[in-house]
Amino acid sequence: MSEYVIEIDRLTKIYQTGKTEFKALDNISVKIKKGDFVAIMGPSGSGKSTLMNIIGCLDRPTAGTILIDGENISIVTDNELAEIRGRKIGFIFQKFNLIPSMTALKNIALPMVFLGGSKADRERRAADLLGKVGLSNWATHRPPELSGGQQQRVAIARALSNNPEIILADEPTGNLDTKTGEQIMELLVALNKEGKTVLLVTHAISLKRFANRVINMLDGEATEE
Amino acid sequence: MLHDIFVMALDAMKSYKIRTFLTLIGVIIGVASVIMVTTAGGSVSGFIAEQWNIFNPTGMVIGTGTGGATPQLQIRSAVFTANDVEKIQQLSSIKTIAPLGVVPLNKILIRNGFLNWESRPGQTMYASTPSLLEILNLKLAEGTMFEEGKNEVVISQNVVETFGKDKPLHVGDTIYLRRVDGITLEAKIVGILEQSSQFNMFNTLSTPGIICPTKPYYSSYFGSNVGTVLKRVVAYTVLLAEATDTNHVLDAQNQILNYLNNGGSDAGKYKDQNSDFVVITQQYILVRVDQIMSIIRTYITAIALISLMIGGIGIANIMFATVTERTREIGTMMAIGAKRRDILQLFLYQSTIIGLLGGLIGCILGASGSWFVVDLLNRNIQNLGGAFSTGNIQLTYAPEWFIIASIVGIFIGIAAGILPARKAAKMDPVVALRYE
Repeated sequence: MSEYVIEIDRLTKIYQTGKTEFKALDNISVKIKKGDFVAIMGPSGSGKSTLMNIIGCLDRPTAGTILIDGENISIVTDNELAEIRGRKIGFIFQKFNLIPSMTALKNIALPMVFLGGSKADRERRAADLLGKVGLSNWATHRPPELSGGQQQRVAIARALSNNPEIILADEPTGNLDTKTGEQIMELLVALNKEGKTVLLVTHAISLKRFANRVINMLDGEATEE
Repeated sequence: MLHDIFVMALDAMKSYKIRTFLTLIGVIIGVASVIMVTTAGGSVSGFIAEQWNIFNPTGMVIGTGTGGATPQLQIRSAVFTANDVEKIQQLSSIKTIAPLGVVPLNKILIRNGFLNWESRPGQTMYASTPSLLEILNLKLAEGTMFEEGKNEVVISQNVVETFGKDKPLHVGDTIYLRRVDGITLEAKIVGILEQSSQFNMFNTLSTPGIICPTKPYYSSYFGSNVGTVLKRVVAYTVLLAEATDTNHVLDAQNQILNYLNNGGSDAGKYKDQNSDFVVITQQYILVRVDQIMSIIRTYITAIALISLMIGGIGIANIMFATVTERTREIGTMMAIGAKRRDILQLFLYQSTIIGLLGGLIGCILGASGSWFVVDLLNRNIQNLGGAFSTGNIQLTYAPEWFIIASIVGIFIGIAAGILPARKAAKMDPVVALRYE
């Protein structure tokens, strides 16, 4: 196995709306090592979201190749792509994106549901993860009953539930106050120290200091600081 | 895995309680009304068929009216003579025949009181021969049948208490019958009919029934009251006959019509040129009753099925709204590893659960609802009194309609869920995640 968990080679993504083409990513090549903490920065429209979607296996490139943990996601089926997403990537969203009708515990267990496995195992692991993010007493609460910071912690626990290689955090502090945001970032740093590869997509320059690598996006092109 | 998604679907439905409930109601009402209509319809048509079971299956009514494919009796002119009765009796497929004459009464009197029999219109006494009992399937509770030519009558249970509950009439009592022409005739009660749950002319709503021999009660009355043509002839408007057996009903019918139409009969001479001889068999009556009932039933069942369809459209509508509302959730689930199949199942489960639950509750509600409806009808029948008072609608469930209604309910649930579920499963996760 290669030392790189993400290998992007001459990646291009073109969006076509009617007759107009829009080049969201232009011939990008990046390699990310296991255990890296990478901040992907850039203003809106720079292509950072597109890059994140492709790394997150939500979208496919128009040209070029991308290997996630050695797997070429351009050539797999929709089902396989969903499986890779579930197994190798943990998503953290700006708006937490928890399922409001499910308890914190069930939200955390949900990615495991899609991969199968016994219910008892899932619940045990979900409870462990809930403890890890410091919310053991909130297992049966539903997202609307939790604060923003608590919801994001649940979301982080959910991102960890299938023990993925990569944590993909898209503006994880965007909906939180500075203090809570700081706590969430510390949690991500801790995860990174445990060996998770963390990709942080943000336009907040203040978050740069948490990363060991910074990739700046502008007009679909990437430059590393 | 399937089980987990099923539980997720249940959870989602629980968190949208009102929405789920409203959607359910559409299916419940549809299924319940299909079951109620078919059950009530089946029960009532069974009852009506029984009520119309005037004679045994070999029975028939002979009269005048309009012939053709759907013959109709018009009880207007008295054309059948005693001679006709005798001739028809001799036909090979006829077992028995009895004439039927109407003797309108003003009053019944008894010696120890002069009580007016409530002057309702249509107080009638029927004149016939002893064979009438067999043809109409009537039985005597006590006493014997009258003899022709004697001043004897047989009364129905309804007449027993004409003078009050405390003064019932008995076999052996003598009553006096005042006809509408003013003549009063003495009559000895020789028999009392058994109460019958069947609808027959001796138990009709407004007329307590008395059966008398044609002689002397009918012949004397009739001879004095008709128009010029029939002045001295005793004639009947209707004859009742019975075929030798069920295989000969059609033969009997043809033989009678043949005799009546071929010049040799008295009735042929007296009959109005514009009317036809009509023979209506019991089988025909039952077929007609059944036809009418099935038309009504088909019609109402169609309406009920339409309401079930509307319930289905309701499901589809709500499911579309739910899918749209939960777009970002769908995107999230895809991001954390849900396959398209998982999303499809999640929403299909919801609509199937609604169809299943709606079908089940609808069945229970339909079953108890039809029990209630039949009970209500029976109470009303009791209140009507008279002929129907002993009749009861038997609640007859049609199990096939329970199955049809539930299957249609479930099917509609699934069908209504397919499009919204496909819409959900086909979403582009990138777009769905961005949905506000």
